[in-house]
Amino acid sequence: MRRREFWLLVTPSVIVMFGFMLVPLYRTVRWSFQQVEYGAPGTEVGLANFAAAMSDLRLGRAVLFTLGLTVVVTAFCLVFGYILATLINVLGRRWRPVVLGIMLIPYVLPHVVGAVAFSWLFDTNFGGIVNFLVNFVSGDALGEPLWFIEPWPNRLIVAANAIWFMLPFAMLMILAGLQGVSTETLEAAEIDGASPLQRHLHVIIPSIRGVLGFVLLIFTMDVLRIFDSLIALSPQAVALGNESIMLYIYNVAFREGAVNLGLGSAISVLTILLILVLLYPSIRALVKEAQAA
Amino acid sequence: MRVSRSSRILAVGLLTASLVGLTACGAGSRTGAETATKVACDFQNPPQATTINVLAYNSSAVDPYSNTMVSSCTHDNVTVKHDPIDFAGQVQKTTATLAGDTGTYDVIETYSFVVPDLAKRGKLLPLDDLFAKYKDTYKLDDIDENLRKAMSYEGKLYGLPMQTQVLTMVYRKDLFEKNNLTPPTTFDELRDVSKKLQDSGDMKYPLALPWSASSDISTAYKATLNSLGKNFVADDGTTPNFETPESTKALEEMKSLLPFMDPQATTFDQPKVQQQLYNGSAAIGIMFSGRMNDLVQQKNTKLYDKFAFAAPPAVEEGGKQYGALSVDGWSIPFNTKVDKDLLFQLLGSSVSEDASKASIPAAYPARKGLDQSASPYAAAAEAAIAGAPPAEAQPWVPPITSATTDIIGSVILGKQSVEEGTKAMQAAAEKVLAEQ
Repeated sequence: MRRREFWLLVTPSVIVMFGFMLVPLYRTVRWSFQQVEYGAPGTEVGLANFAAAMSDLRLGRAVLFTLGLTVVVTAFCLVFGYILATLINVLGRRWRPVVLGIMLIPYVLPHVVGAVAFSWLFDTNFGGIVNFLVNFVSGDALGEPLWFIEPWPNRLIVAANAIWFMLPFAMLMILAGLQGVSTETLEAAEIDGASPLQRHLHVIIPSIRGVLGFVLLIFTMDVLRIFDSLIALSPQAVALGNESIMLYIYNVAFREGAVNLGLGSAISVLTILLILVLLYPSIRALVKEAQAA
Repeated sequence: MRVSRSSRILAVGLLTASLVGLTACGAGSRTGAETATKVACDFQNPPQATTINVLAYNSSAVDPYSNTMVSSCTHDNVTVKHDPIDFAGQVQKTTATLAGDTGTYDVIETYSFVVPDLAKRGKLLPLDDLFAKYKDTYKLDDIDENLRKAMSYEGKLYGLPMQTQVLTMVYRKDLFEKNNLTPPTTFDELRDVSKKLQDSGDMKYPLALPWSASSDISTAYKATLNSLGKNFVADDGTTPNFETPESTKALEEMKSLLPFMDPQATTFDQPKVQQQLYNGSAAIGIMFSGRMNDLVQQKNTKLYDKFAFAAPPAVEEGGKQYGALSVDGWSIPFNTKVDKDLLFQLLGSSVSEDASKASIPAAYPARKGLDQSASPYAAAAEAAIAGAPPAEAQPWVPPITSATTDIIGSVILGKQSVEEGTKAMQAAAEKVLAEQ
């Protein structure tokens, strides 16, 4: 490829990346040191926004809730995504695409639409089929579960919803990895007397380490940014301590009467740093693997 | 290229999943302007093509006005555009479009709660001159003067009222008759009636109020406080009223209603309260009047003919009602580049007599003297308007509301005491007033 053609093809992407990624990032960092109102030039306030953010107990609670949710959802999706992918991998050609297509429906639904529909499963006003089933099975042992006003039941449905829409992605990625595992190696392990569990632990999982690392990376980023599903599933997120970092930023920066873009930007910058710290091990492992390949 | 059967099936599966998702994305993307009432919208045709962008949230009460504007005023060189949006979206877009010297919208829907703040900050154009110029053409004097005052700030009109919403009570007349009950006129009676309905076994949680702790709860607290004769801020404009005995009583009165409400009532907004009434899981509700017409629609509920309406009760006997009056109207943003004369004629047409008549019964028009006999709740709304406490039309109301909402929610949920809550609200309001 000639140099001219190269730049002709690359330039649009560079412009788009600059416009949609670097400029907003620059503005966010800049605003984090300013007091900003819509449409007016900001006033420099030094580190005041960062000091305000760090001294707000709500931020600590939001970080704790978001990290907890990330660990639970990521761990669950990795384990059950692996199990599901293994099961689908042994399905015949006829059923595999059908099962895959059905499983992907939650993944392509807009989160907020999925979350509203999901909330109805637990809301007696809109059918509340889960409440009905739980009481049917338990003989009314649970009575009326307060899914939306008790902290832990609410955390349970928020986590369940995140797993519902993210599990298909984990399963799909891991399935792609499983299809690349060498059958010769698996046969060799079987001949050597390895049990099915040993084959998974010592042959298959090490073979798809890169894919699992990628899934871990994506999940960490995605769950840390959870926002829209909480609008439907946790209408009392602030009072329950179930406010995610992104919801906290939205509440601080945009809610009616409380527009504070400077503080919101400072929390965003802190969130970016937190995500980078959390992703560092995954990124380093991926880079190492790429270099080894 | 050969495509295997399994690949084809996978493609069909993925396509189906995508279509399901896309269908969900596209839901509600029609404004209904095609079927709206057409009225005269006779402006002087501008010399060049002019597009007028309208920002107005979708609801059964506002839609008739925005749809009429689009359908009636799109002709000659003028195109009126209105995209569907919910209320929260309108709030965000209003802030954004009024931020700089240029904005996205030329006409915006405003309401009495926000007008003083926007007017004080110079974000809306005063309409008095245009009102005087076109009052005969569009019979604007027929628009209720009190509602015009509610859309004014410091004596200047900033919004042309289209319709009003007032807290109105709905109750199940069949259950009231069965238990020999009459509509409550005080909170004492409300508790008594609710208890009797509970004891009769007809209803476990007879009372349904929109008390979502993240939003509607502040409207409820304000209505209770106003009913007891206090505003957020004393008449001196500098002292918040949150540590007064009335504020404490307001919170205690609200908490006293909780035993009659669904345990998760603090997550219920107005649509959820409607849903409770549709389902027959509540017998009394108090909501804004724009929600009432939905309750008598057969397509919404099999109980459509079982509802009756009344003005809401007062907190104390002899006091003002547990009421709130909100006026919706049209405003012209300060940064529009379109001719203001032309814009005002669109507003005038949208609230004209014909357009206002066509909005009944979905809305309660701001125009006086219209035949409201088709509206099942009009008499109740009229009584509610007459008995509602006067609105606190001040620019500090929205920021104080925002600063205190979570605290009120926390008190009602029992996460902090009434005393702690009132102290925290007082501090939050003092901070807001200091920044004004």
